[in-house]
Amino acid sequence: MSTIAVPHEAHAAGAHEHHEAIPFIRRYIFSTDHKIIGIQFLFMSLFFLLVGGLLAMAMRWQLAWPSNPDMPLPGGSVLPETMVTDGIMLPEFYNALVTMHGTIMVFFAIMPLLVGVWANYLIPLQIGAPDMAFPRLNMASFWLAVPAGLLMLASFFVVGGAANAGWTGYATLSTSEVYSGVKLGQQLWCVSLVILGFSSLIGAVNYITTLINMRAPGLTWFRLPLSTWALFVTSVLILLAVPILAGGLIMLFFDITIDTTFFRPEGGGQPLLWQHLFWFFGHPEVYILILPAMGFVSDILANGARKPIFGYHAMVWAIVGIGFIGWVVWGHHMFMSGMNPMLGGFFMVTTLIIAVPSAIKTFNWLGTVWGGNIRFHAPMLYALGFVSLFVIGGLSGIFLAAGPVDIPLHDTYFVVAHIHYVLVGGSLFGIFAAITFWYPKMFGRMMSEMLGKIHFALTFIFFNLTFFPMHMLGSGGMMRRLYDPTQYPYLQPQQDTNVFITINALLLFGTQLIFAFNFLWNLWKGKRATENPWEANSLEWSAPSPPPHGNWGGVVPIVNRGPYEYSAPEAEADYWPQTDVAAPVRAAPVSH
Amino acid sequence: MSTAAAATLDRAGSGFGVYNMKLGMWVFLLSEVMFFTGLIGAYIILRFANPDQFAQPGVVLNVPLTALNTFILICSSVTMVKAFAEIEQGNQKGLRMYLLATVILGMIFLGIQAVEYTVLTHEGFVPMSSSYDALGRDGTPPVEGGPLYGATFYTMTGFHGTHVTIGVLCMMFTTFQAFRGRYTAESHGGVEIMGLYWHFVDLVWIILFTIVYLI
Amino acid sequence: MNTPGEAAGATTTHRKQPNYYLIWVFLGVLTLAEIGVAFLSAIPKQVLIIILVALAVWKALLVAMYYMHLKFEPRKLWWIAAAPLPLAVILIIIVMMERW
Repeated sequence: MSTIAVPHEAHAAGAHEHHEAIPFIRRYIFSTDHKIIGIQFLFMSLFFLLVGGLLAMAMRWQLAWPSNPDMPLPGGSVLPETMVTDGIMLPEFYNALVTMHGTIMVFFAIMPLLVGVWANYLIPLQIGAPDMAFPRLNMASFWLAVPAGLLMLASFFVVGGAANAGWTGYATLSTSEVYSGVKLGQQLWCVSLVILGFSSLIGAVNYITTLINMRAPGLTWFRLPLSTWALFVTSVLILLAVPILAGGLIMLFFDITIDTTFFRPEGGGQPLLWQHLFWFFGHPEVYILILPAMGFVSDILANGARKPIFGYHAMVWAIVGIGFIGWVVWGHHMFMSGMNPMLGGFFMVTTLIIAVPSAIKTFNWLGTVWGGNIRFHAPMLYALGFVSLFVIGGLSGIFLAAGPVDIPLHDTYFVVAHIHYVLVGGSLFGIFAAITFWYPKMFGRMMSEMLGKIHFALTFIFFNLTFFPMHMLGSGGMMRRLYDPTQYPYLQPQQDTNVFITINALLLFGTQLIFAFNFLWNLWKGKRATENPWEANSLEWSAPSPPPHGNWGGVVPIVNRGPYEYSAPEAEADYWPQTDVAAPVRAAPVSH
Repeated sequence: MSTAAAATLDRAGSGFGVYNMKLGMWVFLLSEVMFFTGLIGAYIILRFANPDQFAQPGVVLNVPLTALNTFILICSSVTMVKAFAEIEQGNQKGLRMYLLATVILGMIFLGIQAVEYTVLTHEGFVPMSSSYDALGRDGTPPVEGGPLYGATFYTMTGFHGTHVTIGVLCMMFTTFQAFRGRYTAESHGGVEIMGLYWHFVDLVWIILFTIVYLI
Repeated sequence: MNTPGEAAGATTTHRKQPNYYLIWVFLGVLTLAEIGVAFLSAIPKQVLIIILVALAVWKALLVAMYYMHLKFEPRKLWWIAAAPLPLAVILIIIVMMERW
């Protein structure tokens, strides 16, 4: 129950004036409203999620039936001869698929889905602000991401094809057309990522400034929801890590284009320098890809369990701790690179240390749901799925963190299993949770609970069946980025596993149609949502669904408490919104 | 919208007294620090690995001319901060004069850099590896300098120059706005953030001049 | 659409102003010192580098503190401004340890 009385006349009049004053293009295309920009990012990144998924399906087809003329690649006849001949994909195209799947998923799907969408949509709403600090800069951020995405897609269609040196673009494969067969595609890859990086950067400037300067009266730092905290720390990581990637990409671009030798040994360059620069960015990047999801899950678990988050302060410090320590662990991606072995020891220790704050968060999530009056709504299911799958991903990370153990596991499918457990089981489940949870606020309608539950169950099952066997494949010696596993006799016994994985991967991909349908259908046909359908506490739930321009129609929310007052003894209901007036109401005696 | 406007001012307790535009500019400049760190860091490492590719100070690069250029850029920082001081007192004429001076000094800096680049490339100091005859490998004696020297030099100073160029263009806009009377003693955030960016560009050059030209 | 707080650009007009010209002289002197030191071949190279970097950092701090007014800003802004520095140090030290 919100006590924010949005003056209906002002709301209606203001909104109406805007309807007439702002033309369609300024309102929906070149909008400066953070909510519209968030939704623009949502549609863009869901599209790229689909593209990345399709690329993975093509990869899986090749891995299950390598160069098998009886199992031609579906759709292969449409593709040019440089990619697929007689239904069998060329090895160079496989490398391009591997590269582009990773690049598109990391940079154009997951990162915008977590940051571009939710930092934009949620931050002003959760802090009680009418919009971001710099709305026009916000618009620029989205409209820079679009050409970056187009350039990345365009690279498939140029001479030589798309970049094929892996999403990590290691020199000297990436610097030399002689080795990779690709020049223009790799250049486009560099340029696209520099532009996208700049888009993320100005976004981060916006989020940080807004969070520091525009919180509502009464909203101290330690009354912020964990979603907001996570997005704040993520923004700081983006701000400081992306420029390093930009520098590296620029040098890589020069190596490819004007024959410099930053990373090319024949001119005194250092290939390891690229790896250091890339991973100095790359490790904070993976925390960028998980922290927001952790934040959303915290809020959703507390809401679903009708209990405060267990150990709120510890959760905050864990997020900050992960943000800090995340800067000194990057070498664990380079244990086998030939770097100074002493560094290996250093990075092993720091990487094992960073497991601690993540473990604290995990135990606190368990503590949150323990003894709760749990509502198993769809967002809650995704959030619980996140916790279980993230734990598995974290555990495989411990193996990889130990330098000596990493020796046989590096660049095998064990790593692939790890990254997909944290990125799909973690980040993507967090994204599903977030979309389902905030959909009513965004679009004023509810998604179908039943379809959500079915999608959750099938995704959970097929996800595990697809990726868990990869741990075995990897410890059995199957390498990453491998075009044809059957060419190695020692891998042939594992080929059935590859087929099994591919079948489940295809089923996993197909299952996402349920989510797509649920999402799109209910935009028009969904049940109308109330202001606070989940009976949640944070500020966004005191605004209308969807909120008008300016969010509260000119009224400033005043915050009286933290966001986790669920089942508070003084409150009548089992939730107590942050904006409600602080008059404790003695509840009727409840039998425990 | 006026009620919403009034609402945003009432953010008592949020932040620590640094208004949006200024905080935003400082935050943005932090990312720029990281950007130049990446470039300068790469230069340091590459130089340590290949000392024979880099000449001693003054042998290839024109230290006196660049020292003059450094002085010019520092002067432009003085005129910039004086411009800000003037508008703090509400002095429109002073603001315009000093902003104009800053633009001119900035353009002189860029001009001298362009001259320097032209002379260097004519002397054969280029970033491409293909333009160096031998690199001292395979037992042959090393030539004076190598492609890494040019590559790192042009990348670092080139990106600095790009930032200066952007700064000059923004400064022209700020000057234009000043001539239109858009800044007052009460409201001159645009001048302040322009100044922050400009001083930062000067600061980076102070570091670059030392590391690239004097070491 | 700018928020009014941003558009107002409210700044204090009665802030203590440092002597900008004095700082300019300092910067000039330090620059000349740097150039002088750089060409003194008597000093071993490692020591030379330390001295030059120290002088450059001193100049940079003068610009940051006085021209960018950091000295007169709230302490929190100092912490924020300093944030990239440890990261820069870490990156350079770790990669230097490769010492090819």
